[in-house]
Amino acid sequence: MHLSNETMNVGFVKKVEALSGTSVRRCFQCGKCSAGCPMSGFMEHPPNRVVRLLQLGQWERVLAGRSIWYCASCETCTTRCPNKVNLASIMDALRKLSWDADGPSKESYVQLANRLFIENIRTYGRQYELRLGAAFNMKSGQFLKDLMLGPKLLSRGKMKLFHSKNKNLPEIEAIFNRIEEMRKKGEAL
Amino acid sequence: MTSAKKHIRHYAYYPGCSLHASGREYDISTRALFKALRLGLQEVPDWFCCGATPAHNVDELLSHSLCAKNLTLADEVEGDLAVACAACFSRLKTTQHHLKRDDAKRKQVETAIDGPASLDKPVKHILEILARDFGLAKLEESVKKPLLGLKVASYYGCLLTRPPEVPDLDDCEDPSIMEDILRALGAEPVKWSHRMECCGANFTLSRPGVVLHLSNAILKSAQAAGADCIMVACPLCHGNLDIRQQNIESKNQTDYDTPIFYITQLAALAVGVAADKLGFESVIVDPRPMLKEKQLI
Repeated sequence: MHLSNETMNVGFVKKVEALSGTSVRRCFQCGKCSAGCPMSGFMEHPPNRVVRLLQLGQWERVLAGRSIWYCASCETCTTRCPNKVNLASIMDALRKLSWDADGPSKESYVQLANRLFIENIRTYGRQYELRLGAAFNMKSGQFLKDLMLGPKLLSRGKMKLFHSKNKNLPEIEAIFNRIEEMRKKGEAL
Repeated sequence: MTSAKKHIRHYAYYPGCSLHASGREYDISTRALFKALRLGLQEVPDWFCCGATPAHNVDELLSHSLCAKNLTLADEVEGDLAVACAACFSRLKTTQHHLKRDDAKRKQVETAIDGPASLDKPVKHILEILARDFGLAKLEESVKKPLLGLKVASYYGCLLTRPPEVPDLDDCEDPSIMEDILRALGAEPVKWSHRMECCGANFTLSRPGVVLHLSNAILKSAQAAGADCIMVACPLCHGNLDIRQQNIESKNQTDYDTPIFYITQLAALAVGVAADKLGFESVIVDPRPMLKEKQLI
């Protein structure tokens, strides 16, 4: 295969590099990231292949797949890369680009969990675990998931039925709004 | 008596969301331990969620902004910032690390939080407060009931040491801070293979199958090493190994019955805090029968 700026789709690679603050192009495919990755068995493309696909301009295959959503952010890859490629940050950048494009990936459960978790911050300030679990079950259609766990956690005080909102909720909301505003104006990625 | 006389050192405290909910015994035992060691602990007023993994997973700017605002709130309380949750610790330190080195990023965050980002308060995990600030020698002197005969597998997980330049807590492949503390408490740390393998973290909500697979390997390895229990310093690791343990056993047709302790529960027990003040009634795998058998309670 002939490698050029065009076939590499260097524009996309540069966007990933800007977001992640690391070099996609520096990877020489030693595979150490995938060897230590606890999640590679769940991915269709292990971490080193995700980077290789980016280098070859095949980013659409990466965004459409499950791999980026199955990364646990354990940072083992970043810690061990001999070329100092911050792969965990590349995964963050790819998820953001996929998220902004309204999630072309088939992996919807992880995206749903992320969305509910972030919504919880905006609505309550602190995580409301009961609501997080219940909303996930409702929206993913898994009504019976972990149903037996609820009473166990409630009876041990590990889960609360009621949850108070932070007093400074308007300040938290303002952070979300200012970020949205900056993005609208093109002042932030 | 003023707090300065009563306490030998004072800390601001960021418990994080889990410590007010599923990890409540971590909060209870942290407060009990600090009180016993005469360390002051004052919760940061109006702290809120650091964003944890979901925020940085899809929105780095949001993640840094949430952490920077919390760091600003922490400035209102005297002392270094004590953090118990490994994920909160990692996120707060990541924000300090990146914003100190990237002016453009810092400016964006300052626009988002509508004020200067305050990045200089030392953020410390409970482990380093015990081993370094308080000190191992003094900890050993404070022990009233040494944990003799207790074989403990110390589990670090991911975020206490990785990536190495951020937490700056211990070696990223071969740490020893947990084992050092255990020895000071009179316990016996075991050598085992899965100290730093991932437990499956927040997949417990979205893809619990991942947790059942990864945490099974951790429990299996601790059992093979002859550990009586596992010690953790993160509420998410605790949840996956304790709350999910019965799921893991039935899926893999095994029987572990391995109690999972927070570092603060074991340390508090050793320095003489009563067992009924450490939240043992909240955990799923009840550690009390094992502790009684070892004559530790």
